[in-house]
Formats: sequence, C-alpha cells, structure tokens
Amino acid sequence: MHLTVCHMYPDLLNLYGDRGNVIAFVQRCRWRGIRVTVREVNLGGPVSFTGCDFLFIGGGSDREQQLIASELAARLQELQAAMEDGLVVLAICGGYQLLGHYYLTLEGRKIKGLGLLDFYTTAGARRLIGNVAVEAELNGSKSVLVGFENHGGRTFLGAVEPLGKVLRGYGNNGTDGLEGARYKNVYCSYLHGPLLPKNPALTDHLISLALQRKGMDGKLADLDDTIERQAHEAMVQRLLA
Amino acid sequence: MKWLAVLAVWAAKLIMFLIKLTGLGRASSLPGKVALRVCPSLLGHLGKQTECLVVTGTNGKTTTANMLAGILEHAGYTVLANREGANLLTGVATAFARSSTLGARINSDYAVLEIDEAVFPVVIRWIKPRLVVVTNFFRDQLDRYGELDITVSKVVEALNKLQHTVLVLNADDPLVARIARESDHAARFYGVFPDARLAGKASYSREAKFCSFCGKMLSYRVYFYSQLGDYKCTQCGFGRPQPDTEAAAVQSDVFATLARVRAGNDTRQMALSVGGLHNLYNALAAVTAAQLLGVKLETAMDSLQCYRPATGRMEIFAYGRKQVVLTLVKNPAGFNQALAGMLAGGDNSKDVLMVINDNAADGRDISWLWDVDFEVMAGCFGQFTRFVCSGQRAEDMALRLKYAGVPVSLITVEKDYRRAIASVLQGEGTVANIMTTYTALWPVEKILSRWAERAGQHAPYGMSHVS
Repeated sequence: MHLTVCHMYPDLLNLYGDRGNVIAFVQRCRWRGIRVTVREVNLGGPVSFTGCDFLFIGGGSDREQQLIASELAARLQELQAAMEDGLVVLAICGGYQLLGHYYLTLEGRKIKGLGLLDFYTTAGARRLIGNVAVEAELNGSKSVLVGFENHGGRTFLGAVEPLGKVLRGYGNNGTDGLEGARYKNVYCSYLHGPLLPKNPALTDHLISLALQRKGMDGKLADLDDTIERQAHEAMVQRLLA
Repeated sequence: MKWLAVLAVWAAKLIMFLIKLTGLGRASSLPGKVALRVCPSLLGHLGKQTECLVVTGTNGKTTTANMLAGILEHAGYTVLANREGANLLTGVATAFARSSTLGARINSDYAVLEIDEAVFPVVIRWIKPRLVVVTNFFRDQLDRYGELDITVSKVVEALNKLQHTVLVLNADDPLVARIARESDHAARFYGVFPDARLAGKASYSREAKFCSFCGKMLSYRVYFYSQLGDYKCTQCGFGRPQPDTEAAAVQSDVFATLARVRAGNDTRQMALSVGGLHNLYNALAAVTAAQLLGVKLETAMDSLQCYRPATGRMEIFAYGRKQVVLTLVKNPAGFNQALAGMLAGGDNSKDVLMVINDNAADGRDISWLWDVDFEVMAGCFGQFTRFVCSGQRAEDMALRLKYAGVPVSLITVEKDYRRAIASVLQGEGTVANIMTTYTALWPVEKILSRWAERAGQHAPYGMSHVS
C-alpha cells in the first residue's frame, strides 16, 4: 500500500501550524505500514494532480494567498477533474476560502477565487477567534471535532454541504451555525489547532477515503490513541462540559 | 496637569508598597495600570524628562534591554528600565512610576524600555525615543496580533510618525532591515558574519522568504535560522546591508558564546556567559546602541562579560550534581533555539519538562507548537529519559511529541507543577531541561528556586523577580 500526499505551497501557506495536518496524515499511515510519499508543490514548480491521493492546502497571509490564486487558476481544469474523480482534499482557512467563488474585502474589492465549490466569503470588521467544537458526521457516525479558529472572512455556503454544526465558537460566519464545507471527498474547514492531529477520527476517515479511491477496502488497523483521545477530550471538556 | 501626574505616581507607589507588604504578585504592571487611570498622559510627562531608548521586535527584547541597561550603568549612567519583561503600556508606566520622585520627577540619565512590538505604536504616542532597537520579527501569538506583515507595517508606520530618532536594526533579518528603506531615520546595522559553519538545519519556520518590496523569492547565501542570514533579492537588489557592528569567529554552545566584534575601526573579543546565536544578536544590538550613545566598545565588552540571563532566558540552576536549564518559549523561533541549545549540550542523558499554557499572555492559540521542529530530536531519543508535559495544554504538548516521533513510553502528562518539576529533578538524567510558556514561567521558577540553587547568585541583572 502506498499513498502520495500533495502539500500545496508549504512555504507560503503555513500559518498556525497547519503543516501538523500533513504530519498527522503521514504518521497515521506509517504506523499502519502504509507507505507515504509527500510531494511539496512550490510556487512556479510543477503541479500534477494525477497520482496524488491526498491534497492538503493550508492558510497564508493575504499577499501569499493572492499569489497562489493566480498560479492555481492556470491548473483549474486539472484540479476540478481530480476533485470530481474523488480526490481527497483538505483545505483549511485561507485554503478553504480560495476554493470558493470570491472573497469580498472590507473596501468592497472582489478577489476572485477558484470557483471549485459553491460558496463565497465576505470580510468582517472583527476577526472570529477562539476554540471551536463542531459536530460532524463521518462515515455515518457522529463525531465531535475540536480546533481553534482565527479568521476575518465570513463564508456562506451555496449548494455544498457543511462539514458540521457549530457546538461552540463561530464557524463559517458566526451566524448560521455551520462550519466548513464538503463536496465529494473535498473537506474544508476553518479549524486550525491543527485539525487532524487532535481529531484522529477525521484523519482516519480521510485515509480510508484515499485508500478506497485506489480500489482498496479502506479498513484501517486500530492504533493506540490514548494521547490523541486525551488531547481531544481535554478540549471537549473545556468547551462543552 | 502636573498635580495629576504627582497623584498618579503616589497611587502607583502606594500599590507597589502594598504588593510588597502582602507578597502577592510582582508589581510589574498593576501600579502602572492604576497610574495611567489616574493620569492618562503620565508617560508623556515623565518620558520627556529623560532620554528614552526603546527595544522592540519579537524575540530578545528583555535580554537586549537588560544588556543595554547594564552597559550604560557600567559606563557610569543612571538607568531606569522595565526589567521584568513587562513590556505593555502598563509595564512601562510602572517602571517610570517606580523611578519617579514623589514630585513626579525623573532623575535617571536614560530610560531603557523594552516594548512589545504590537504596543509600540501606542507607546510612542507618549514616549519620543532618541533611539529604537528592532531585534527581529517572528510569528508570535498570532491570535492577538494578526499576521506578521501587519505587525511589521504598523511598526514602520509608527516609526515614521517620530521626528528625531536613530534606528538600530538587525541586518540579518530582512523583515527588520527593510525598515531602513521605508523610513527617513538614520539607521545603524548589526549582524553576524555569514559563516557557513553557523548555518542552521531546521528550515521549516522561515518567515519571509519573499522580498518585501517586489515579492520575488529571496535567495540566501548563508542561512542561520528562521529568516535570518545573508539574503538578497535577485530582482530589485534589496539585500543584507553591510553591518556597522559585526561579529565573526563565533563559537557558541549552551552556556557561553565567544566572538570577535568589529565596530567601526575598533575590534574586540566578546565573551558572553549565555549561549546561542540569538543571544549573540542581542548583545550586538546592545553594543550598537551603546556606541551610538558614545560608550566605548571596550566598556561595552567589559559589561557584557558580567551579564547573567534574566529568569527563563536559558537560566542555569543546580540540583545536587544535576544541571537544570530553564528556558522561556513563546514562539517557534524561540522554541527551535531552545531545542538546538539542548541538543548542542552533548549526548548526556536528559530529563525534559515542557509547560504549555494558553492564557492571553501566552497566546490563546497553541497551534504554533506544530511549527516547532521537534523533529530535530529524531535519532537522539536515546539521550532522553523522559518528556514530562504540564500546563493547561499539557495534552497538546504530549500529542505534538508523539507525532514528532518521540517514543510514547517516554511521554507523560503531569498537570501539577510541583510533581512535574520533581519528576525531572529526580529523573536519572544528568541534565534537566525545563521549557515553559510565559504565564507558567514564574510559578515554575518559584518552585524550582526553592528546590534548586541558582547558578551565579551574584548576577547584577534580571534576577529581581520581587519588586
């Protein structure tokens, strides 16, 4: 078994420890004997989505995000085809916003997104910051995801599912109680923390999906998750108890 | 409004007295808070009575300010300073109120003020510094301050509102060196000679790889750590300025640093009893500032030789025959330096304690732990006897270590500070490394100093944890 992880622009989109998502995905594969190759895609470098099993895209500061939007626009069709084909994607914060139609700044300027998923984002005056708990359905069972959010944008979903319902925190926009977005195997979220290490259920779900797309059954061997559970539980207790 | 300033100083001094009397707290910010409530323009009134020297930037502020204050005192000046890392508006006000006479007069020759980079724009509304040192810009507590770009821009904007000041800038940090181009103030640079021997291996938490002026990727001839090194933009020509003060022939381990320092036509040997390249930068910043004020290089070197680190700045304790190193960690750059220092100490056996809190002063978001290169320890786990994780986010620290490849059998979570500290002191390692975030530092230091002996008790600076 072998999976290829594509880490998009790690030297630009690397806010708030988001690389921890790649670390968690890779380690949980390796601990199960699944071999993993991580390909870093850098600005101006070659990009290919064929042969990629898991694509991760994190958040960056505004300047860096714009650089990437214009570079990725050239690869749009290839990326869209891969997503329609079931490519497993995790997009966090700025990377999440990038997949939508546009980002409307406070000054009323519209920054074009990739338009891959049906949602848009508008800038808010106040940043939405704090610990978050979200109820999400993964593989038919309900699961609580925890993380930390820090975003100025308010995202509003069109014809895509949310990742989950906000139990504590703001989520997409602080008003409709929804957090993140999902479409086929594309998962989007505002949660840093980073998201995957503390939510092994989601990590394993993404690994399963990637294996299934390769024609395998996606059943994963159990791991000793004592430390993961402790970290997850500590935040659940703090937010929901 | 003079009488209001007098009233404010009296109020502050009364609170300091009460805090000392009751032994509650360190009185480093509450007195100033109350004084500012009584007289909001207090800093303007007191600040203009002395020459203010400001140190700002992300890391190294406390050390640089303490070193500069030490050099100036060694040169015969009287200095007031906010020496305890209380670097918000209230901490600055406390320092002034403490040194003020009851008639709201300041008699010190200089005020050496370390000021939080995010608060800098506010402070200079009241304080008009003669000199501003900018140490570096790293990611720090992003949930409080927004992204790094914004922080740098705000500091530049604030500097440009000042009329007369001289800048002392780190030539090796492109985010700091850019300030010289963006402001009209005269600037002096300090830096470390780009010696490939000093190049760092952890490259992940680099900050600005892009030219601030044209957006092109910066190219590095020699790269030290984070974004520090000998950089150049191949498109617009922005690059590392030639430093006015430069260190060469650098030798550094956990406990000491030796270097040859050239400033103008003068060259002297520098010996610091603190380790790490970051401390060399701090010393160079202090030397450059002192020279601008007319202090001889020789005098500065004399003073630096006696410098002892402030609490938690790689401070050394002894517990029986065991050496204990206490380090404050507050961002990836600093944590990476602490890990590098720990590994540079050799392959002796180590007990490690990491205490992570997420109060406002620590940063509510602890995601930054994932930007720290704990992976540099891979291949060295045989040196470690245990990793104890404590603090409000102990579980997150344990999780990070597990994913960095630390054997799970070495990781324990112990929320109680006393038990956590006891377990690394009594562990079988010959060295204990304790790393804590800001709000855990004082409680940990308090327990530690009861059980272990502080090395260099005669130290002139940074030891005054009781005000």
